[in-house]
Amino acid sequence: MSGETLSGPVALDTSSELSRRAGLWRRLSRDKVAAGAAIIMTVVILAAIFAPIVSPFDPYFTDLTKVMQPPNEINWLGTDSTGRDILSRLIYGSRNTMMMGLVGVVFGGFLGGFLGIIAAFYRRLDGWIMRIVDVMLAFPAILIGLAVAAIAGAGITAVVIALVVATIPDVARVARGAAIGVMEQEFMEAGRALGVSDFTLIWRYLTLNCISTIFVFLTLRFGQIILIGSALSFLGMGAQPPTAELGMMAAQGRDFLFMAPHIATIPSLAIFVIVLSANLLGDAIRDVLDPRLQQ
Amino acid sequence: MISFPALVGVLFLCFCLLQVVPADPAMIIAGPDAKAETIAAIRLELGLDRPIPVQFFEYILRVAKGDLGRSIISNKSVAEELAHTVGPTVELMIGGLLLAIPIGITLGTLAAVKRGSIVDRLIMAVSVAGVSMPIFFIGLLLIQYVGFKWDLLPFTGRTGPVWDGGLPSLILPCLTLGAVLIGPIARLTRTAVLEVLGADFVRTARAKGLRESTVVMGHALRNALIPVVTLIGLQAAFLLGGAVVTETMFSWPGVGRLAVGAIISSDFPTAQGAIMILALAFLSINLIVDVLYVYLDPRMQRS
Repeated sequence: MSGETLSGPVALDTSSELSRRAGLWRRLSRDKVAAGAAIIMTVVILAAIFAPIVSPFDPYFTDLTKVMQPPNEINWLGTDSTGRDILSRLIYGSRNTMMMGLVGVVFGGFLGGFLGIIAAFYRRLDGWIMRIVDVMLAFPAILIGLAVAAIAGAGITAVVIALVVATIPDVARVARGAAIGVMEQEFMEAGRALGVSDFTLIWRYLTLNCISTIFVFLTLRFGQIILIGSALSFLGMGAQPPTAELGMMAAQGRDFLFMAPHIATIPSLAIFVIVLSANLLGDAIRDVLDPRLQQ
Repeated sequence: MISFPALVGVLFLCFCLLQVVPADPAMIIAGPDAKAETIAAIRLELGLDRPIPVQFFEYILRVAKGDLGRSIISNKSVAEELAHTVGPTVELMIGGLLLAIPIGITLGTLAAVKRGSIVDRLIMAVSVAGVSMPIFFIGLLLIQYVGFKWDLLPFTGRTGPVWDGGLPSLILPCLTLGAVLIGPIARLTRTAVLEVLGADFVRTARAKGLRESTVVMGHALRNALIPVVTLIGLQAAFLLGGAVVTETMFSWPGVGRLAVGAIISSDFPTAQGAIMILALAFLSINLIVDVLYVYLDPRMQRS
């Protein structure tokens, strides 16, 4: 079968893929804001990956002789209410917060993309799948987080489940829309006529042609997902002490807001910077990869 | 209309909340050192020995009658506790919207009319920043400066209803909640107004010699409001999630704070009731938006 010999997606030539990547670099070199966002994101991701190496102190080491110290030359961002170094906790906290968002977006994107593509391919399942998706949309992410935490107990798992469930319906809709567009292409009909199996049609013909749309959508969602995750942690539904997590660190600092405002302000500011960079970078990626999503 | 399946879904999920909790609800209600007979009696009273579909049906009947069980912690009726908290939450949400909608629409329209100018870029930058801001950050800053340092407004609790001297205590929570909504509303208004400004009827209005302000306000903005209303419906999730965080920060006695407190103290019936009310509120907001949509766009009435 001719389709089986292809390794890449059908009807998507690789040169356009290369030019898109070049387009992203060109955009980043011209757009200072997007470039700044890309640099910040790179630094945050590297710091998160190499947290044990780059963090100056042990994020869990308490020192009651120097509690709530403002930023100084030893503890660059000061210390918290139990004398832990805030910079080190911030690095580990970004690691946990970003991981939470990433797992939420990746799993939610995978499940949502699967549902959307299946709905577009098997039209008789469409009504059912989209109805389930609509019901899922009826639950705001924070509510899902509260419900999961009520059932399973508060913890990072509860937040991740909430983030996955919150990502699924939107991705399913976007994937379905993109897949329906691809379904109308002639090569789908040609593949069917050749007797290509459903699995190959769905994976090689449909999924690989929708993947950039789904990817762009997920990069745009990443910031929102981090905001929801940190809000749930702030409410006490997520990571439990002493784990370093940005939302929870902000919540803990709230008790000392008037004595040592930096304990709550610094993690909040960190979330803001991460989400802002993610949003700006997502916008740039969208403009280059999938300008149709701009609306 | 997704409301009906969504409603059943909401009720089913809330029902499941009590089914899948790690412990037996009867044992939780009976307390740690209850006798086996007491637990059995409670099981019988709650109908826990009957098939799940029957239990679900009975649960719906109970909810319809307003019976949501009793709090494990305070032993008060959950429906009664909720009744006290719905008012403050609605107050907070309406306050937040009343603040965010005019500011968001004004900024969005201004950005569209002055497209490409420094004003436009400034407004869009502020709105991107607003979309990226964790709501508790805004709250923390307001509490720290306006509430504590400058001592301008109260920042804990609710002193009473708006019409009874409660306004000062409402301002900071509303500002917090409203601030996160301004960005998205401004962004969408800008897109919608830009689209309408290019339409034929706007060109006609200009050709008639109408003043620019009449063209923008009377013709463009009115038509642009239709997608904006839909967007505000989509922001309902933001509004609700934001309300939960805001209430917790400002010790605002609303449904969200009740839900968070109940979950932390493992008070399942209260948590279930509060989550259900929040989900129903979300559905109602969407329903109101649907109705408004038809009202604003007469074309929808025919279809």
